[in-house]
Amino acid sequence: MSLSCRGMSFSYEVGGTQLPALRGVSFELPAGGSLALLGASGAGKTTLLQVLRGLDRADSGAVLLDGVEPDAAAYADLQREVGLVFQAAELQLFAATAREDVAFGPRRLGWPEADVTTAVEAALDLAGLPAGDFGERHPYSLSGGEQRRLALAGVLAMRPRLLLLDEPFVNLDPGTRRDLVAVLERLKAAGVTLLLATHDVDLAWSLCDQRLLLADGRVEAVGDWDFAGAGGSLLAANRLREPFLVELWRRLGRAPESAPRTAAEAAEALA
Amino acid sequence: MIDISGLHYRYPGARADALADLDLQIGEGEFVAVVGANGSGKSTLARLAGGLDKPAAARRALACGHDLLTEAGRLAARRDVGVLFQNPENQLVAQCVEDDVAFGLENLGWAAPQIRRRVDEMLSRFRLEDLRLREPHLLSGGQKQRTALAGVLAVPRRALVLDEPTAMLDPAGRREVLAAVAGLHAEGLAIVYVTQEMDEVVTADRVIALERGTEVYSGSPSGLFADTGLVRRLRLGLPAAGELALALAERGRGPVRLPLTMDELLAGFAGSA
Amino acid sequence: MKAAIAQYYPGSSPLHRLDPRAKFVAVTALAVALFVRDSFFGLGVFAVAGALAYGLSRVPVRWFWRAFKPLLWLVGLTFLAQLIFAPGEPFFSFGFFHVSWRGLELAAFLSLRLVVLVLMGSVLTLTTPPIALTDGLVWLGRPLRRLRVPTDELALMVTIALRFIPTLLVELDTIMRAQRARGADFRSGGPGARVRALVPVLVPLFVLSFRRADDLALAMEARCYRPGVVRTRLHPLCAGWGDAVLLGATAAVIALALLV
Repeated sequence: MSLSCRGMSFSYEVGGTQLPALRGVSFELPAGGSLALLGASGAGKTTLLQVLRGLDRADSGAVLLDGVEPDAAAYADLQREVGLVFQAAELQLFAATAREDVAFGPRRLGWPEADVTTAVEAALDLAGLPAGDFGERHPYSLSGGEQRRLALAGVLAMRPRLLLLDEPFVNLDPGTRRDLVAVLERLKAAGVTLLLATHDVDLAWSLCDQRLLLADGRVEAVGDWDFAGAGGSLLAANRLREPFLVELWRRLGRAPESAPRTAAEAAEALA
Repeated sequence: MIDISGLHYRYPGARADALADLDLQIGEGEFVAVVGANGSGKSTLARLAGGLDKPAAARRALACGHDLLTEAGRLAARRDVGVLFQNPENQLVAQCVEDDVAFGLENLGWAAPQIRRRVDEMLSRFRLEDLRLREPHLLSGGQKQRTALAGVLAVPRRALVLDEPTAMLDPAGRREVLAAVAGLHAEGLAIVYVTQEMDEVVTADRVIALERGTEVYSGSPSGLFADTGLVRRLRLGLPAAGELALALAERGRGPVRLPLTMDELLAGFAGSA
Repeated sequence: MKAAIAQYYPGSSPLHRLDPRAKFVAVTALAVALFVRDSFFGLGVFAVAGALAYGLSRVPVRWFWRAFKPLLWLVGLTFLAQLIFAPGEPFFSFGFFHVSWRGLELAAFLSLRLVVLVLMGSVLTLTTPPIALTDGLVWLGRPLRRLRVPTDELALMVTIALRFIPTLLVELDTIMRAQRARGADFRSGGPGARVRALVPVLVPLFVLSFRRADDLALAMEARCYRPGVVRTRLHPLCAGWGDAVLLGATAAVIALALLV
């Protein structure tokens, strides 16, 4: 599913006054592409994701899904194919078994029970919690990392073509982080469009085609932009650092924008 | 500061020990990092070292000279050993920052003027003066954790245990807390730092790795990361520089010593050139 | 997001600086005295005293209105009930309803009394931060400790509960949004459906709260908290001349209202 954001603005109402949270946000994300949303706390990343999912309505501007405008008849159906995984998503677990919890979304979509079961099994497997082992487990008996994956399965079961993730890597041990990256790579390979808000600059570099820097509700930079030069000082101004490999390339005297995305690629280039 | 030998601990109803025959010695002013997979016993150790839980058995269990096997010893240990936890939200008790920092001293029965002086000192030290009357829910993650740290240290301590203090913070918040901890280390406070972030391990004097409740490594950070088998078994990560060096080694261009920082990595390149 | 109950308006008026214990005793005494005698004169005295106190607190009038608004229905109901059902010669009739002078008098008296009661309570809550009020109540409730009532611990519980209300509201909103993102619908359906729809929200909220209680207890113990041990305070309660004046004035007002 492609995503096109055109001049989108949104404000919160707090005690009678309007607090702008997003100002004229515009960007394009092609189908099957991946975008990392970077920015300091309070820049508006969470707000943006929630408006894209349709939990809040933008004050002005438009969000097009697969080129379809918001007022078109087909838009509501398309919005159901957008999944949003919240930060600390394990907060949403409530059912008695993993299967029941994951089934919540598909059932709310009104799918027949047989389809629900298939979707649940597939989602659990995809998220790295094989249905055979984890299906009947109580969500609260799972470890933190497993709960995070269960919450992700709950969204994947709804078969989103566009997946939005809000800080999915926070508070995960290195092993679980690697597992989650593997899940996202699998989704990318399957053609799911990804948009993830993250503080992890290195993952934003290695996992996504594009990066978007949000500051105070405005888009400061977007695209496959280089982190050195203008990008470098922008990052510093937003309290983020350069990706390790980009900095390394710069300090080795090589062009930072051509820096490799992963350690393996870097080793190939250097060996 | 911490002298533990043969420590056992098991959660009620658990099938296995959370800590089994653990030995741990931490000297005055030492900065020791504790790593291990989830469930390896890191948090349990942090709580026991702070006198917050009762060991099942131990040959010796002393924290700042207090016997953790006795109730009185544990209560005394809670005074000398501070513990900072992972979730900043769930450590703040009062309705504004300065009241929260005062909480520990109020519990100890200090007189109001002494509390005032100490609280002002802590607010200044952790740059919280402008936030002294702020309510907790209006603070950022980093500010909350700094407030909690100020509250823990308001009680004069001889050792500090931190249980994954930056896990729930954004990079800015993490930097704030790490800077504060570095400052404390410079002042000579003994620090036990439990973490999953490998970059935070690099600056420690010593690293202890736990696996299923026992110590499987105690030594320098570089020594730990050089043992790639152990790193893999414990599901630890490597600092970015180490990962790259490992990838290079797999292609035959390995450095002699595993670099842990970019500077070390670049020095390694220059050296082999 | 502030709860309307126990709403505090920060300030430095003479009333703000008085000891919460004195204020609480004064308001309680006045509230009791308000109901002792049914006279408009007495009510007038209390009303004037309350208005003067409110003026002295320098709190904007709209804050009283905010505290009073939720009770408007009660006052209105009282007024109407007395108006219609009080015995007496009707001067005006409309079908079933008979309105008498006596009824009008009673209605006005009872409604006004309610207003004055709320006025006095507001002066207390608007000028006293919840934590100070709790401290004051703990001190006043000291004798109950002899009956093994854990007043100090109860006070701490209240303080902590108040501290977490804003946090819980935010978390509630987040959980609701997360479930809405999975297709949950809290708005449509009959009462049964709506209650069922709350399960995916309340369960996580409860789990979160229990985990929080565990974490918080541990953090408090790590800062040397021990239930039952007497705690000192950063802001100790300190009664002064102003409080004596307040109590004296209260006694005078009550005397005037009841004895004249």
